[in-house]
Amino acid sequence: MASDQQTPGRPQGRRAIARARRREALGRGWRQFRTHRGGMAGLGILVFFTLVALLAPVLFPPETISVTQATGELLAPPSAEYWLGTDDSGRSMLALLAWGARVSLTVGIAATLISMVIGTSVGIASGHYTGFGGATLQRLTDWVLVIPFLPLAIVLATVLGGGSTLTIIVVIGVTSWAGTARLIRAQTLSVEGRPYLERSRALGSGNWHQMTRHVLPNVFPLVLTNTTLTVAIAILSETTLSFLGLGDPLRPSWGSTLDQAFSNGAVSAGAWWYIGPPGLCVVLVVLSFTMIGRALEQIVNPRLGRQ
Amino acid sequence: MRTGRRRNAWAALVGAIAVALALPLVPASAEETPSSSGTAEKTVFTVGITQDVDTTNPFTGIAAASFEAYQMMYPTLTEYSAEDFSTVPGLAESWEESEDQTYWTYKIRPGLKWSDGQPLTARDAAYTFNRVINGDIEQTNYGGYTSTITKAVAEDDTTLKLFVKRPSPIMYHLAVYILPEHIWKNIDGKQAKSYKNEPKDGEPVVGGGPFVLVERRKGEFLRFEANPNFYGGKPAADEVVFRVYKNTDAIAEALRKGEIDYANDLSANVFNSLEGAEGITTVPSVYSGFNQIAFNMGAALTDGTPIGNGSKLVLDPQVRLAVAQAIDRQVLADKVYGGFATPGSTVIPPLYRDLHLEPADPVGFDLAAANATLDAAGYTMGDDGVRVSPDGERMSLRLLGRQESSESQKVVEYVKDWLGQIGIEVDVRIVSEDTLYEKVGNGDFDMFEWGWVVEPDPDYQLSTFTCDQRSTDDDGTIIAGLSDSFYCDAEYDKLYEAQKLQTDPAERAAVVRQMQQMLYDSNAYVVTVYYDNPTAYRSDRWTNFTPQPAPDGVLLFQYGTWSYESITPVVEDAGDATSTAAGLTPGLILGAVVGGVGLFLIGYWLGRRRPSDYDVE
Amino acid sequence: MSLIQDVAGSGGPDPIPGPPPLPRKEKGSRGLSPGATFALRKTGAALGTLFFVLVVNFFLFRLLPGDPIGMYTRGRNVPPEQLAELRAELNRPVLEQFLTYLRNPFASTIDSAQFNRPVWELVTERIWPTLLLVGTAIVLASIIGVWIGIKAGWKRGKSFDKVSTGVTLTLYSMPEFWLGMILLIIFGVGAFGLPGMFPIGGISSPGVDTSSLAGWLDVAWHMVLPVTTLTLVYLAEYALVMRSSLVDEMDEDYLTTARAKGLMDRLVRRRHAVPNALLPTVTLIFLNLGFTVSGAITVETVFSWPGLGLLSYEALRGPDVALLQAIFLLFSIGVVLANLVADLLYAVIDPRVRS
Repeated sequence: MASDQQTPGRPQGRRAIARARRREALGRGWRQFRTHRGGMAGLGILVFFTLVALLAPVLFPPETISVTQATGELLAPPSAEYWLGTDDSGRSMLALLAWGARVSLTVGIAATLISMVIGTSVGIASGHYTGFGGATLQRLTDWVLVIPFLPLAIVLATVLGGGSTLTIIVVIGVTSWAGTARLIRAQTLSVEGRPYLERSRALGSGNWHQMTRHVLPNVFPLVLTNTTLTVAIAILSETTLSFLGLGDPLRPSWGSTLDQAFSNGAVSAGAWWYIGPPGLCVVLVVLSFTMIGRALEQIVNPRLGRQ
Repeated sequence: MRTGRRRNAWAALVGAIAVALALPLVPASAEETPSSSGTAEKTVFTVGITQDVDTTNPFTGIAAASFEAYQMMYPTLTEYSAEDFSTVPGLAESWEESEDQTYWTYKIRPGLKWSDGQPLTARDAAYTFNRVINGDIEQTNYGGYTSTITKAVAEDDTTLKLFVKRPSPIMYHLAVYILPEHIWKNIDGKQAKSYKNEPKDGEPVVGGGPFVLVERRKGEFLRFEANPNFYGGKPAADEVVFRVYKNTDAIAEALRKGEIDYANDLSANVFNSLEGAEGITTVPSVYSGFNQIAFNMGAALTDGTPIGNGSKLVLDPQVRLAVAQAIDRQVLADKVYGGFATPGSTVIPPLYRDLHLEPADPVGFDLAAANATLDAAGYTMGDDGVRVSPDGERMSLRLLGRQESSESQKVVEYVKDWLGQIGIEVDVRIVSEDTLYEKVGNGDFDMFEWGWVVEPDPDYQLSTFTCDQRSTDDDGTIIAGLSDSFYCDAEYDKLYEAQKLQTDPAERAAVVRQMQQMLYDSNAYVVTVYYDNPTAYRSDRWTNFTPQPAPDGVLLFQYGTWSYESITPVVEDAGDATSTAAGLTPGLILGAVVGGVGLFLIGYWLGRRRPSDYDVE
Repeated sequence: MSLIQDVAGSGGPDPIPGPPPLPRKEKGSRGLSPGATFALRKTGAALGTLFFVLVVNFFLFRLLPGDPIGMYTRGRNVPPEQLAELRAELNRPVLEQFLTYLRNPFASTIDSAQFNRPVWELVTERIWPTLLLVGTAIVLASIIGVWIGIKAGWKRGKSFDKVSTGVTLTLYSMPEFWLGMILLIIFGVGAFGLPGMFPIGGISSPGVDTSSLAGWLDVAWHMVLPVTTLTLVYLAEYALVMRSSLVDEMDEDYLTTARAKGLMDRLVRRRHAVPNALLPTVTLIFLNLGFTVSGAITVETVFSWPGLGLLSYEALRGPDVALLQAIFLLFSIGVVLANLVADLLYAVIDPRVRS
């Protein structure tokens, strides 16, 4: 995509060719993807949840999740009126889940974007620069990779001040990039060895040009695959951090709904409808991203196809 | 052959482990708790607590459970009655203020003994008071009681004189635990800082309260034995155990299974799930706590220097009134607190019947009235549904809720919703209580949700609204005082000083009521609810609890040890009243069987696999 | 190793590094044996990470808004001289404070605010329950996970593979605390007509002497649900990794040769494929302790298991900064050391690594 940027003075024809080629590759990828049953199932689930998230305000007007206007009994089991029962404020669990999908998906995707930007930049830079800078970046990657995620995330969230969705996004973003960076670095190293890069260097192109014009497009498929897998993990992380009470309780994600349920004694009360469905949603969405990621990976890296 | 032997060896080993694990189960099931040390007649009353006693040294502890322990271990001069918090005899059987109001005389009960048989006299009391007055670490917990006392003198074994700088009603109830001089004289101030005060070599901690501490395991339990030398007579319960659990869910389950006899501070859901359970009685118990929405009424230092970034909007009494009108306290009590709360009004809860003021013209929930209040005060509704002040400022307020409390998080959500309906936009942030404390101290807030637990003596609670309790500046660092609303009114301060010196209870109560009315009218706090303390206990084992206050107050964690002294085991179950781990044994057997079989299978599998691996070639 | 990256290693918060990459040739090995150089380099890297952790731990908490002393002394009557001491400590130059901190990172000047006790004391008594819980779960998960991985990988594409891969992927996508709550509600509290058989939390029943045999059994009984939860979550990963390493291994030429020679299929699997595929899996179990830490924190919270995980959750209240710092440090040290041990062990088992 980066090579799509407008560069004045370039002949249109070449870009058109490139675009056509890309379109063709995309079409080929889609045809391959369609043959993956797991990937397609994942895509189906994901489309469903995305629709639910987008349509939540239409399906369940904001009043339905307003505590002062809740109509249900507190902690009522599933009934004809409330298909998934009510929470301990008498709100419909179904409505809460739909609104929760918005938060969970937003956090997952936004955090992944941060993580991908950091991971890709660090990965390419540490692969491209061979000197002290590259080595430092590589060290940093290794360090962050080893530090256990959750304690680090807890510490960061505490320092940034818990209780806000933005904090959660940032925390997940800045703690989860190291794996990507390492992967991208390896790929960068192999790309850097290819003849056309040497030619480009010989022609005097700068570091920035080399990295964005040659390396990035080549590692991009890997970034894409990696993204779907990272979203899965980002959503899981969001759920965990929210469960620990670091999320925004007024914008309930699936994780903070679970936190609410747990800290209000839903376990003792045997309120399975308060605990089961949010977790199930997480499992389904995470699974769908994972399966899409696996399918993409097999397309990008055909050696894996045999598995 | 070689492998065959090996397989047998494996199977035999694992089998032996399984058998070894399973065999002792029969005797194990008959095993008692260590706390009952074998004698079946001993009655043990077990209390589940979620926060462990931090230390049994009465000078250094801060946890609520610690003070419950100190009350059991040590006497105080006077006590708060279970009936209505009036002052009743404790270690002292009578007390009197001198004519010239310069000292108080306490008559100590004669012929008392510490739990180790040493005499307990006025000298011990004088020693304790002097130690606190002249102490350093000793001041930490008790300095508040002794600030007016200059010295303590024991004239004889039964007469204690406390000399005071000025008259003070605090002298009726000095909650200073009287310690045995013959023990504590060997522990100087420095040692007292780290002194554990725990049983050593099986010797209990010497005390003079209804129970003595005989065993303590940090993070697990504390075990107390009835003190035969207690002035109120030996309690009927032979032992009291405080057992530490991690949360109220675990406590509720322990109660259901009979591991403990008493649990309080239960959440509404847990309470409801225990209701009707066999052998368990649940009581809501009215409590002395209230929660409030507080406003920033002009944050400033004690010298009047303004601090913080509070909104000007909430300085307008009409805005605060409108907010008060827009909060449905009944709905909060019913829905957020699950019915275990009553709508609030003033800062002294109604269970203090002698002091509480029920406002004559209460502000009720009425969104139309709230809107009218704002309209009349010149706040016009904007196009986006948010009002604009006469100065053109958008009515947007910050409201802080507490991370630690799920009720707090819900209350702020309700308030945000209601205020939205009267054209006030609310920006809610949930922060930890420590952060909230910090923000409030610095005046960086518009509104927040929190609460207080009010002592029977109203002085402390009332002091939180005095000008002197606003923040102070210590070399550029702002130190929070007790005031969290920054309410400051010269008239109120005058009344506060008057009640502080008034030793006549009835006259003092009149002043206290007047002060509550002032606070109520100012809407410095919108007291949302007085919350209950949902409690459950094993009524199939224990009876004769003493609520404080009568008839529906809390049963334990009172001001005093009334219930510990009064409870009696239920007769037909007396032998069973020891807290054995009932229901555990069948589970254990099942577990051991499953484990044993599992181990056997693993062993067999390992044994079976080996030959094919190594012997075919 | 493809599946490792495939499932989790790609940038997730629980990175699963593959076996250590072949190191580049060291220029200045100064006559040391390659093994020693390797060990030195690895140890150096681990020390570097630890230093990084210390730096993070020290400076990150300085960024916390507000007055730490004020927060600590809130609600208690701290004698003025102790207050002055604390203030003096805080007002020293940052670098000086950092050096003091380096000398003994656990000797905090401030006690845990909520427990009113030295943090080190608190932390040490919580280590054993966590080791017991997590250790048991890891052992069980690796046995079962490896077994599933072998079966699935060897008969790739068969129904067992399909079912087990589906199940393990689902388990892998599960928030572990949610699984715990579900098990708790079904088997602890009792739902859907089931009696609540298992204890709903804690490590032992009150009054049971934990040093007696009955006490041990009681602890075991309390461990059933949390260990099951953690085992299920951990084994998913181990099974996936074992399966993919076995699949990789089976494509190696020597295996094809071995099979072509007419060796029994089972024998080939047992003698060649499995031992070779086991190596990366075992390494992974060590390398991946960061992931198990996450599980320990939330699952201990759900089951009120009195270990470091629950302590972390408790430290969030406040937040109890001194406690949080100590826990973060302890977890990091544990994971870094486990990584180092894994690296060194791997090199001992497979000399190719240290080239």
